[in-house]
Amino acid sequence: MSAEKMLCPVCQVAFLVKEEKIPGKKIICPVCGAVLILEKERDFWVLKRPKDMTPEEEIRSRVENFARLRGYYFNEMKEPLIEALLKKYERYGDFYCPCKIDNIPENVCPCLETRQGSVERNGRCHCGLFWKEA
Amino acid sequence: MKSIMLYALSTCPFCKMAKRFFESRGIAYNSVDVDLLPEEEKEKTVAEVQRISGRRAFPVIVIGEEVIVGYDELRIKEALEK
Ligand code: SF4
Ligand SMILES: [Zn+2]
Repeated sequence: MSAEKMLCPVCQVAFLVKEEKIPGKKIICPVCGAVLILEKERDFWVLKRPKDMTPEEEIRSRVENFARLRGYYFNEMKEPLIEALLKKYERYGDFYCPCKIDNIPENVCPCLETRQGSVERNGRCHCGLFWKEA
Repeated sequence: MKSIMLYALSTCPFCKMAKRFFESRGIAYNSVDVDLLPEEEKEKTVAEVQRISGRRAFPVIVIGEEVIVGYDELRIKEALEK
């Protein structure tokens, strides 16, 4: 089976999946760090968000993966922000940015401006979850 | 004394830090948790935040004439001393 571009349901970016396709296989989105599960829907392979993870496990693994992929670090603001992201999830149904008013797809953490390099420009993401030495 | 207005969200850690900054120094300030406002008032306040800061992100702190977008302790101190 050759490599195929597949859509991340979290950041909505298509990325190349080179791994062998096995139902239930765990894939990490190289763009946003989301943990995703390979599933077959009729004749198509799709990536879904994991159903066997709690919201807390899902967002923790996502931000850990994203930080590792980008070389960012965390500080003492991490725990308050994980809590805030969980509050957003409870209130609005997804991990929307705790410091932005609009609960829309581009503000799902890690949000679009962060994925587009705001940490490189400012030394941190807007909320202060991801940091990088200037 | 300059008037201080802090536009905040109830979920935003930097907004809490801004509140603590003023409180720990005994500085009088006004603040609003925009996400907790009733719908109509929320829209109006967000529009105001967007007009003065160009963004829909928080905190936005207004000290006198100065608008500080994001939590920036240095700029808050400078604005207070001006
Ligand atoms: S600003 Fe930081 S914490 Fe907020 S959504 Fe973007 S990446 Fe996540
Ligand atoms: Zn993704």
